[in-house]
Amino acid sequence: MKLKLFVDRLSQPCRAILIFCKLNGIEFEEVTIDFCKRENLSPEYQKINPMQLVPAIEVDGEFKLFESHAILRFLACAFPGVADHWYPADLFERAQIDSVLDWHHSNLRHGTTGFVFNSTVGPLLAGLPPNLEAAAEARKVLLASLPKVESFWLKSDGHFLLGRSQPSIADLILVCEIMQLEVLDEKVRKQILDPYKKIGKWIDDTRNATQPYFDEFHAVLFRAKEKLIKIRSTGSSDETKIK
Amino acid sequence: MKLKVFADRGSQPSRAVLILCKANGIEFEEVQIQLAKGEHKSPEYEAINPMKQVPAIDVDGKFRLFESHAILRFLATAFPGIAEHWYPADVFKRAQIDSALDWHHSTIRRGSVGVVLNTTLAPLFGRPLDPQAAAEAEKLLSASLAKIESFWLKGDGPFLLGNSEPSIADLSLVCEIMQLELVDEKLQKRILDPYEKVRKWVEDTKKAIQPHFDEIHAAVFQNKEMIKKALAGAGSGETKTS
Repeated sequence: MKLKLFVDRLSQPCRAILIFCKLNGIEFEEVTIDFCKRENLSPEYQKINPMQLVPAIEVDGEFKLFESHAILRFLACAFPGVADHWYPADLFERAQIDSVLDWHHSNLRHGTTGFVFNSTVGPLLAGLPPNLEAAAEARKVLLASLPKVESFWLKSDGHFLLGRSQPSIADLILVCEIMQLEVLDEKVRKQILDPYKKIGKWIDDTRNATQPYFDEFHAVLFRAKEKLIKIRSTGSSDETKIK
Repeated sequence: MKLKVFADRGSQPSRAVLILCKANGIEFEEVQIQLAKGEHKSPEYEAINPMKQVPAIDVDGKFRLFESHAILRFLATAFPGIAEHWYPADVFKRAQIDSALDWHHSTIRRGSVGVVLNTTLAPLFGRPLDPQAAAEAEKLLSASLAKIESFWLKGDGPFLLGNSEPSIADLSLVCEIMQLELVDEKLQKRILDPYEKVRKWVEDTKKAIQPHFDEIHAAVFQNKEMIKKALAGAGSGETKTS
């Protein structure tokens, strides 16, 4: 199957899919859709994904698919040689991974994306007006979600979500999401994440289990982080004012 | 497998799970968790679902699961005798249904919940109505219905993705849209009238799952009456969104 990935490496779910494919030896062609340059809004891309978001995939020039969780489930099931721990065949284990992924949408994702985009990426990188109210709302959701990861989803036994001994697609998705907080003002980021020791360890465990691809695909995020540090040092940003 | 379903029939995702079970002859015990009475916040229920939401399931007193889409996928694959069209084994068809279910979370679901809460239900939870939040939610809901009309209902069949029979995606999304029965009739019409294919699809989905669809949705109409009485008693009229 000839696979094309339409991605922006600055996007959390895109990184999860890129890392997954590399780790499992799935060959693909990476097509960059630059969100900050609004390339997702082009008529050509609309034919690939009418929702005009990334990621999306195309298989053999015909089958198109969007929504990152659907893409990861599909890749895990359709491509040979994917290790079982990513999306187990056992229906009970699989259901629990489905449960985290679904919970993630309205919780960690909604909170992180809303907060990072409205306070930082939107105004400082994409030239959009800051939306402090939306950022504050999203921050509340984020702050309510992290304790749930710390105390419920990360059980005491294993290194990964649901107490598992090896990572699943849920670990990839959620860790790539939390990595997005790297672009925040450092004081703000530490304030949010420092209370959660298990989360810190889990991010490290997931990173170690997915090297060298984890660092390879997060490089663009760290370059954005450097750019933002420079931007912040020249002007004023409203990020630290968000309550 | 001994199945318990913890549900409030007033909740859209609860209804989807109950209907899937009934339509496929899955035996289960329905345990009512009444949201209006705060039963989802009890310590007993928190032991079932620490997120304190409905629905949730318990299998053989050991395996617990929450998030309605995860439950629907599990039931469709773990129980024998479920017709294939609900969640096909073909990875391509299944992926498209997964895509619709995932898309639903941040679009129809978010929009519908926002409209119903901020135009109608909020006072019942001791909160004020919020016309601005309702207007934003209505915008999102309308834009999402437009995508169903133009994209998800493309193809030969009457159901999402052009399928000839309903899947768990049709069930989940239609149960969500049915929640609009709780809002003022004029608002319902304003939201749904522009979308002829959507309205036909809702009717086709209902027809395909009778009598279970109507049986489970009776709760919505009962709630509608209760809400009218409760709000009339409180002296507030219906609000209009701008």
